[in-house]
Amino acid sequence: MSTLHLVRQSAFATNDFAQCLSVLDNQDCIILMDDGCYNLKHTLMESLIKRVDASVTIHIIASHAKARAIEATTTIKHIEMKNAVELTFIHNKVITWQ
Amino acid sequence: MTILDQQSSDSLPPENGLAIINSKAPFSSSHGKDALDIALIFGSFEQKISLFFQGDGVYQLINNQDGTLLSIKDYLKTFSAFEFYDIEDIYVCQQSLSNRQLGEDFHISDVQVLASIEFGAALNRHQHVLRF
Repeated sequence: MSTLHLVRQSAFATNDFAQCLSVLDNQDCIILMDDGCYNLKHTLMESLIKRVDASVTIHIIASHAKARAIEATTTIKHIEMKNAVELTFIHNKVITWQ
Repeated sequence: MTILDQQSSDSLPPENGLAIINSKAPFSSSHGKDALDIALIFGSFEQKISLFFQGDGVYQLINNQDGTLLSIKDYLKTFSAFEFYDIEDIYVCQQSLSNRQLGEDFHISDVQVLASIEFGAALNRHQHVLRF
């Protein structure tokens, strides 16, 4: 049972991202979208990055990041909205953090 | 050193103008646009305005943003009109920038980056404050 997590809020302003990470399971997938893109620079990301490849995957919506002048990184895959839709079919359930 | 700074800021005359605090990121809500509208309205009536950027509000000033990618009218570009409205006091919280690993690379010039104490002191010189 894998879950797709849609993170839409800045962790600098709300507690949502921390709550998401607290329930994050192996094989889960995270998509950073809207203000969630800002979380790339949050300290919570450091522990999360260590789990990438091993158990969880992280994606970011490319246009949302670019609009916010957030630079591309190699560990996190930049995707389009249509790819996000595809991911909702791959995973058993979706949680939106907003 | 700190005490001297405190004394010098206390000795400044209190400003009677309006302070506007921007505390929200630019694209996911209308708060930033609303704050901008208020600032320009007061500016066009020659009222004294100071702008404060704190918390996620500092994202409004970061360079190379493009709201049109999100199908949003990019109101941030209007920030460059501040000088024509005589809005010259623009303050940014340094702590908010460093928490977000942001440099002092802004899309408008004449922005003053202040440490928390000076930021608070600058805000407290104002009689009226609106927060968005």
